[in-house]
Amino acid sequence: MSGSIVRGTGRAAVATLDAVLDSRLAGDLVERLAASPLAARAVRGALQGPVVETLAADLVRYRVADRLLSEGLVEQATARVLEGEEFEYVVQAALESPTVERLIATAIESRLLDQAVVRLLESDDLWLIVDEIASSPAVTTAIRQQSVSFADQVAGGVRSRSRNADTWLEGRARRAFRRRPASPPDSGAG
Amino acid sequence: MSLAADPAARAVVHPAEAAEAAAAPLEYVGIVTRAIAFAADAAVVQIVAIAVAGTFALILSVLSLPDKFDGVLLVVGSVAYGLWLVGYFVVFWSATGQTPGNRLLQIRVRRAVDDTAPSAAAALLRFGGLIVAALPLFAGFLPILLDDRRRGVHDMIARTVVVPAPPGLPRSVLVP
Repeated sequence: MSGSIVRGTGRAAVATLDAVLDSRLAGDLVERLAASPLAARAVRGALQGPVVETLAADLVRYRVADRLLSEGLVEQATARVLEGEEFEYVVQAALESPTVERLIATAIESRLLDQAVVRLLESDDLWLIVDEIASSPAVTTAIRQQSVSFADQVAGGVRSRSRNADTWLEGRARRAFRRRPASPPDSGAG
Repeated sequence: MSLAADPAARAVVHPAEAAEAAAAPLEYVGIVTRAIAFAADAAVVQIVAIAVAGTFALILSVLSLPDKFDGVLLVVGSVAYGLWLVGYFVVFWSATGQTPGNRLLQIRVRRAVDDTAPSAAAALLRFGGLIVAALPLFAGFLPILLDDRRRGVHDMIARTVVVPAPPGLPRSVLVP
């Protein structure tokens, strides 16, 4: 009997606590508390005290980092960050910022880059790569196709102009010799 | 350019000519296009001839032949050049109707009566006609400007016409 009374009282207390936590008053209370100087002092005191050392020691002792890594939480978190739109916004904002622009300009103008380029040009491996790329079938085929295409284009232009010149010259000659104009090409179709 | 559609003009032509006209295509190639094609062929002929002649001249320069062979070499060289010149045009005209210059300009020589390349004899006759047409200050080519089928004297002699040959033309059309 007394056990059922205790359980009923406990459930009522939990329900009351839930109602209090869901209430707007509780939310306002927490916000005020967090914004108060008291909260700031409490945090400052905690950071100045031995809590930080204790926390770090416990992190090591209980192998928190190993557990996070073994459970794949870090990978999941990383993937979520990289795939999320927020990361893209951050990168975009960083690239568009004047600070990054200045940093890139400084890096380009630095002697370090010049030296890197000079050393790269002096490297035999670079020219080996260039030779490989230049002699690759894909590149040679592309160059050949481009050359053939250009030659075709030039020949096509010559053909078109010569046909026009044929017509023009023939018209002049026929007028000079008082011959009737040439019939159009399809007049004899049948 | 089209076939002669004028009845009056058809009335004075020979029956064989009328048959040729009936079998002829609807368009013929004019003098400018043909001149450009011929110039391209002339360039090919001369470049090859100069290269070959230069090679032989270098070879002969180290052999130091007696002077009495100069005349013989001149005759041999002239004959070889003539054969090369005639052979170039005759072989290409009679084989496919297209020299390299013609191929560049997408034109071809064909018999007037049907759509086949001229025979070797006709091609040889056409080359002779070409020289005949060129001798009187190229006056033999003027009929190309006035003839309804754009034929020069050499075309009339060999009974050939020059027609467009767009790419992709069936080989059976090009080769008899």
